[in-house]
Amino acid sequence: MASTTQFSGVERFDAASKTSQDLSGAWGIEFDKVSKSFGSHRVLVDLDLQVKAGEKVTLIGPSGSGKTTVLRLAMTLEKPSAGDIRIHGESILFDALGKPLSSAQESRIRRRCGMVFQQFNLFPHLTVLQNLVLAPTTVLGQAREQAEQAALEYLRMVGLESKVNAYPAQLSGGQQQRIAIARALVLKPEILLLDEITSALDPELAGEVLDVVRRVANETNVTLLIVTHEMRFAREVSDRICVFDQGRIIEEGVPEKIFVHPERERTRSFLHNVLNH
Amino acid sequence: MDKLIEYWPMVVSGLWTTVWVAALTIVLAAIGALLLGPLRLSSSEAVRTCSMLLVELVRGPSGLVWLFWVFYALPLVPGMPRFGPAIAAVIVMSAIGAAYASEIVRSGIESVHRGQADACHALGLNPRQAQLKVIIPQALTQIVPGFGSLAADIVKWTAIVSFVGVQDIMWVANTIRGETYQTVTIYTLLAAIYWLVCLMTSTAFRLLERALPLNRAMAAVNAAGAPSLDNQGELQGGARS
Amino acid sequence: MSWEWKFVWDMMPQLLLGVWYTIVVTVLSSVITLFGGLLLAILESVSTRIGRMFVRFWLELFRGIPVLVLLYFGFYVLPELGITLSGLAIGVLVLGFVYSAFCSGVYRGALITIPNGLRDACVALNLSPYTTWSKVLVPIMVRRAMPALANYVLMLFRSSSFLFALGVPVLLGEAQQVASQTYHFLEAYTVAGVFYLAINIPFVYLLHRLKVKHG
Repeated sequence: MASTTQFSGVERFDAASKTSQDLSGAWGIEFDKVSKSFGSHRVLVDLDLQVKAGEKVTLIGPSGSGKTTVLRLAMTLEKPSAGDIRIHGESILFDALGKPLSSAQESRIRRRCGMVFQQFNLFPHLTVLQNLVLAPTTVLGQAREQAEQAALEYLRMVGLESKVNAYPAQLSGGQQQRIAIARALVLKPEILLLDEITSALDPELAGEVLDVVRRVANETNVTLLIVTHEMRFAREVSDRICVFDQGRIIEEGVPEKIFVHPERERTRSFLHNVLNH
Repeated sequence: MDKLIEYWPMVVSGLWTTVWVAALTIVLAAIGALLLGPLRLSSSEAVRTCSMLLVELVRGPSGLVWLFWVFYALPLVPGMPRFGPAIAAVIVMSAIGAAYASEIVRSGIESVHRGQADACHALGLNPRQAQLKVIIPQALTQIVPGFGSLAADIVKWTAIVSFVGVQDIMWVANTIRGETYQTVTIYTLLAAIYWLVCLMTSTAFRLLERALPLNRAMAAVNAAGAPSLDNQGELQGGARS
Repeated sequence: MSWEWKFVWDMMPQLLLGVWYTIVVTVLSSVITLFGGLLLAILESVSTRIGRMFVRFWLELFRGIPVLVLLYFGFYVLPELGITLSGLAIGVLVLGFVYSAFCSGVYRGALITIPNGLRDACVALNLSPYTTWSKVLVPIMVRRAMPALANYVLMLFRSSSFLFALGVPVLLGEAQQVASQTYHFLEAYTVAGVFYLAINIPFVYLLHRLKVKHG
């Protein structure tokens, strides 16, 4: 039913996230002079950010500094006002001739990203299994049994295979978010975007979700772009931290550098407020 | 009262007319809403505005005004057909019903949380798949009650068809009253009959609500009980902290 | 037969009379509706079980019976009980009562959105129930209910055409009279329709503005 061009993308997903294929040196996602304004409000200004394939990068900074917008742009939920975004060298906005992508081309490239939201956004009218199986069967054209097998695997990975036939409303916030992570992983994205995934949870429940993210970080080669306020977690899991303020990156570096020897005054005051209150 | 029993066959026939006119109108209004509703949510501003103007145009004059115009005035425009009274009534009421129902469909779809559309986008669903499998199933939970309320209103609207000679229950009541002058009894019974038919219509839609995907999910949740926070044993082999 | 402007000019006086009566009916009924609905909502909120049951019964009655039936009921049944009112009076009262039932639902919805904490604060400030309602709760209720109330007033205006069945010279009634006298159905009903549409326009615009302002 599906054409070969559709499935060649799927094979590359497998290669990227499951084996330890050496992708060092390859770019995961690049932001090239990206600006974004909503009306007269400038949210991002001339952003330059390069993330290597398999790298785990965390974006921190005050609210409204543009971090969530970076993720939404990567996920093509928004379009930049200026600049280009490339995934594995391929632009997600323009084709080789510089013209805007058709929706079919955009869909193909969009599939390389997955996203987990602060509000979980599970489908309330479907069971957990149906939530996980919807995209593989509808978008990738997989057979139902195959999709269900893969779904069970990822449910095992997040520790919730016993909830396979439950509805989201029967689960706690932490469980729902873990299901949301499994739902994103089932499509084997090369890049996973995590947008403040513990901010809407009771502090008690955040831990189980962060444990799952640690597993994903340690056991797969997925490129991670994380926005979070959990500083201890960010320090543990990240290869690199980018500090945002008013739409720009004001400082970036390895966690030790940012948390122990921050260079900019703004970074220092932000960390002081977040870590000490 | 016994004198009225003689009129039983007429009452049944009148009631049947009211019921089939209402039923046909409800069905056509639903179809019209399904065609018009998506236009109100179109990505093109021109389409959205035109459909909004159309809805307001249709809803503007009351059903009675439209009915008289379609039945008496329209045939006088060169080239326009002359409709029989029942057909004219159904056309007018279906159009107005579709206009109101399209607003119900639109607000139902808009009430679905925006995060659902974001999640569909993030999973790679195209807009049509997202609407069909995620948005509309949830929107129905808002749409069906609203439409059920409209359906009960449509039953009440059918009373106007008596003015153009359709022999519905209202027409029958007026006729019997003209012959027997038992005004109080007749109009009380008439009110009771309409009230019952409206009740049955509302109940039918309330039963339909139970079959909706989101409602079934909520019913399963309520049956099984609230979530527990006792998740300590849940994470297998990965809780290194 | 086709359109002739001469007849439109001739029938204007009668049609304008109809417009006048339509507006009068709408305004009078609206007064009953807006105040009656508010009273019903307050009654339902403060009263005992019996009071609530009465309000509920009132509402159910008007939700299931067509306006036309109620109009005939008022016009033909009331005289048998000794009460004789003009068609206009009955029309205004029936429309007023029916839509007050719907509006009370709107007011009640607005009341529910007011957090209990606000009422508690009024008690803590020693405000009398009368003051609490008149100076605090009712103004808030009215503000929040305005878009939906405006919508019902508009529907009331549209329903005014039913009154022609009782002989009240509303616009539709006048149009029908003119049409049956002169046989110029096309001009009569079309102009009437245009008038109805035209009066709708400021209403709909106002509704739109209210919806945007009070969302």
